[in-house]
Amino acid sequence: MSGVAGSLSGKLVHWARMKSPWVTIFNSGACNACDIEIIACLMPRFDVERFGILAKGSPRHADILIVTGRVTRKQASRLRRVWEQMPEPKYVIAAGACGAGGGVFEGLYHVLEGPGSVIPVDIYLAGCPPRPDEIINAVVACLGLMEQDAAHGGREWRRQKSGNADQGSREAPGVTT
Amino acid sequence: MNHWLSLKEVADVLGRFGPGEQVRSNRIRITMEPSAIRDAVKAAQEKLSCERLIAISTADNGRTLELIYHFTGPHRTVVSLATWLPRDSPETETVSDILPPAGIYERQIHDLFGIAFRGHPGLNRLMLNEDWPEGEYPLRKDWEQVKGRFYGGIRKEEQPHG
Repeated sequence: MSGVAGSLSGKLVHWARMKSPWVTIFNSGACNACDIEIIACLMPRFDVERFGILAKGSPRHADILIVTGRVTRKQASRLRRVWEQMPEPKYVIAAGACGAGGGVFEGLYHVLEGPGSVIPVDIYLAGCPPRPDEIINAVVACLGLMEQDAAHGGREWRRQKSGNADQGSREAPGVTT
Repeated sequence: MNHWLSLKEVADVLGRFGPGEQVRSNRIRITMEPSAIRDAVKAAQEKLSCERLIAISTADNGRTLELIYHFTGPHRTVVSLATWLPRDSPETETVSDILPPAGIYERQIHDLFGIAFRGHPGLNRLMLNEDWPEGEYPLRKDWEQVKGRFYGGIRKEEQPHG
């Protein structure tokens, strides 16, 4: 297999991933505002494709999963399955006030305690909805995280550093674990 | 027909089921016993050309569950057939056979309020998740989420750690 860390092919794969992260969007019960802002990123005004960020329809082609919304009970198993289909290394951005902190849905009968209770989340992105600049910033921060993980040989080092990765990521608004 | 129905026109047809009231200029509400709903729906369809079902709404007023069928038609008047059901055993006759669009509303109401509709061909879950516990109706006023109880989604032990 190609992509062994340290080998030439591994370096090539890492370079390609850094230059062109592919993202996929999953709406887990959001009001759609976040999704509209993410679509706005792809449109000519912000045009993230010039940076190589591509929105893919299939999670099997994606490096980064952007989850919007406070996962409903119905969507939980679907979100888990989408995440399981992504190839390693995979990263998750929980976008919007609902995904990051509960929003107006916190504590209602039909929602869980956020995407973090279904899949491991790497970056929490605040805003209701987050502006396209902030979404781009989150993806770029996610790239920084990928870079660090690659240097440390995996994501394990982050858990050891912060003790609780979930808590650590909430400290800085919109950025890194 | 391009004029709104008056209270008298509606009461002539539906007055025998119960008292009517003019809520707003184009909204008329008839309150009746639960057993009269099927006949009233038929009469409204045939004699008042109330051929369009807007919605079936439910309200929990603390004592009873109110069930209100909202109709309209080419006359653009909203005719509401209201009834009430006891909270301890809410059960009524379905209207989905004479009014097919009512079927999906009845499934929703059964899901969220626990009203059983006798004769409905498939009273399955619609809004709630598949693993929602039986006998819990989240839109009732006295319903409260029990801490620690599993309501569906992802179980605690399946959640990711860190």
